[in-house]
Amino acid sequence: MSYTLRGRIDSRLAALLPVLLVACVLAGVLRHWWPVELVALMAAVGLALDLEVWHRLFPYQPAWAMVAIGVAELAALMAIVYGFGLQAPLLPALALFGAGWLTSVVLTQAGFPRFRLGYAEDGGELGQVGIVATAAVALAFVGSAATFAVRLPPVVHLSAGVHQGPLVITRREVLQGDRGAVVRGGIVVAHDDVAIRNVTVVGGENGITVDGVRGTVLDNVTVQGAKLDGIHVRGAGVIVRNCTVDMLGNRIGQGIDISFNMDTGMSMVEGCTIVGGMVGITTHSSMTEIVHNRVSRTTGQAISVAEMSMGSATDNEIRDALGVALNCDDQSMCMFEHNTVVGTRVDRASGDPSRRGFGVLASFRSEADLWQNRLVGNGVAMGAVTESLLRRTSRPSW
Amino acid sequence: MPERVAVVGSGLAGFTAYQTLRRALEPGELAVFGTDADPAAAWRVRASAIRQREMRSESDGHCLPTTFPGLAFASARRRGSLRPLLESALDRYHPTVDEFLAHVEQLRERSGWDDSFVRRRVEHVRAVDDGFEVDGGHFRHVLLAPGHPGLNIPEELRDDPRVVHSYEPHDYAPTVTVVGAGLAAATEWLNALAAGAEVVSVRRREPVRRPLNVPRDYFSRRGLAGFHRLPPRERVERLRTLSAPSYPAGDRWDEPLEQAARERRYRVEPSVNGSAQVICATGFRRGFGDDELLARLVSEHDLETAEDWLVLDADSTVPGLSDSTRTLAVAGAPAQWAFPAADTLAGARYVAHRFLRRIESCRTR
Repeated sequence: MSYTLRGRIDSRLAALLPVLLVACVLAGVLRHWWPVELVALMAAVGLALDLEVWHRLFPYQPAWAMVAIGVAELAALMAIVYGFGLQAPLLPALALFGAGWLTSVVLTQAGFPRFRLGYAEDGGELGQVGIVATAAVALAFVGSAATFAVRLPPVVHLSAGVHQGPLVITRREVLQGDRGAVVRGGIVVAHDDVAIRNVTVVGGENGITVDGVRGTVLDNVTVQGAKLDGIHVRGAGVIVRNCTVDMLGNRIGQGIDISFNMDTGMSMVEGCTIVGGMVGITTHSSMTEIVHNRVSRTTGQAISVAEMSMGSATDNEIRDALGVALNCDDQSMCMFEHNTVVGTRVDRASGDPSRRGFGVLASFRSEADLWQNRLVGNGVAMGAVTESLLRRTSRPSW
Repeated sequence: MPERVAVVGSGLAGFTAYQTLRRALEPGELAVFGTDADPAAAWRVRASAIRQREMRSESDGHCLPTTFPGLAFASARRRGSLRPLLESALDRYHPTVDEFLAHVEQLRERSGWDDSFVRRRVEHVRAVDDGFEVDGGHFRHVLLAPGHPGLNIPEELRDDPRVVHSYEPHDYAPTVTVVGAGLAAATEWLNALAAGAEVVSVRRREPVRRPLNVPRDYFSRRGLAGFHRLPPRERVERLRTLSAPSYPAGDRWDEPLEQAARERRYRVEPSVNGSAQVICATGFRRGFGDDELLARLVSEHDLETAEDWLVLDADSTVPGLSDSTRTLAVAGAPAQWAFPAADTLAGARYVAHRFLRRIESCRTR
């Protein structure tokens, strides 16, 4: 088949239409936008390659070239997906791409040539059908974009100054703090899809409580003076980024506690600074990634993956912890990788042999895989007690 | 309903056009004029003469109105194997002559072709008010598919008693000279060698090696758009270039020739020598002037021509004789001005699609 440029574009967009419709339905069912984003990206990558590469490379395009073109477009697509951090799950995304490619093959090799007189002679041009298909694809993308925009949560600006809490958020919204915005008495997130940005929280039982909801994002929040936990998450999926939690002087509180949320998928704590408190970051029965954080001066454990959790701690910096720094406890499965642990002190007052200043400790039937951690000046570099296991491997056993 | 559309010529070009026209018209609305009701009659004799077993064309070398389903699909279904489809994806599928002839026969039976067929050799087509007079009958839309005007034998060999044209039934003498360098010539080299003959190839120029009659982009708008923009003199030159003899590349052709050359049973010479048999694989006479019907049409209506070619619009209609109320189009070999590979099945389909489009958009339809 010798495509004209317009023929390539007509055929591509018309073949994309059924996949786009499927993606729109999927987006509605899953309540995620990645299917539509992925198809939009497929269209963009395909059209760009049509214009710049395929049209020049293939004056005549044999049917087998569909395979090579498919592989090349998949590679470009995945590079963009990962490069720009689009949150599309790998296998469903591959399945959607595969379905799109297969649809395209079937339509261009059989469907269009069967139902359109002169499809081959016209170089793949579809006449009015092509125009309608282009308009339909454009309409679907514009409609999706409009729906996305309309569904964006409202942004509530919190002005500079002190606002008396506790503040309870009971609807989808983005709470955006202006510079110097402070909430005294804590914040409770009680609705799905809430984002809190640039807000300082002072006091409260917990600084920020997230309980039984999904899609919470805490970005650039500062928590000081909480009575119990700085950030307290129960049965909820969260992403915590670039936070600061000051727990100095609090002997029983935990900087960030994410617990009992196995059913909400992966949570994440990234780029936070936690000072003081009994535990810096802890998870219980949770799947949480703990990445690029700085934890110091804790009195119990710095980072603890506990109680049947499956979690990883990567590229964290832990200094001056008392007793234990990195802890994998109570039938948990942990991956500790590229962490720096410096100066973990012996907790002599406790008299507990498991608090001898361990850089890494696995206890009570837990398994911790270690890879390229830097352990310096700790009471004991690492240890495993009560039927636990430490392994040196870059491949977690879970 | 009276017949409104005439197809002059009952060969494969006319037959392919008929299949397309049947999408919009009933057999009673169509008249096909020809001398043989079997659309493959002339082609069958020629293919048999050169002992052709496989088509040069690929999966879409058929007479159906749309390219899909092609002959590879039909073969896959019949054989219960994906192999024909895979070969087609690799451009390596070529239907056998038997498969093609069976396809024609099947289409002939189910399309109503025989109901539309009129056994008459049309001598005269003339433009009249609101249409055309075809040997006394009146039609609004006429497609001329007269076929090749006859076999071409070089002037200097016409009186040589050793000469036979490749498309005429023949056997092989112990020493054979094959004149020409296209697909028929290449087939004859192999045939004669297989029959034990010593073969001399006489050719004026080296053959082009390509899979189809013309480069593939000339089968679609991508290559045709530039071709149609060429001024007449350049278009004539381009058509001469594209008409150069060619046959496909591949070991299937090369290995027997190399083997025979090593055994001194095959060689190339500049002129006909003392072989016992001379086979002219020199194709057909070219040009509208050799076709009585077309020559008369050009002469009576003072139609534009460019050397041997009848000048046609891009949709293969005759300029000046086609408008919003009537259509005169040309299919098959004489339609090269519109479609360089007009003497292929794809070329016949190209003309048929445009002819149907003209009929459907005709305001007096």
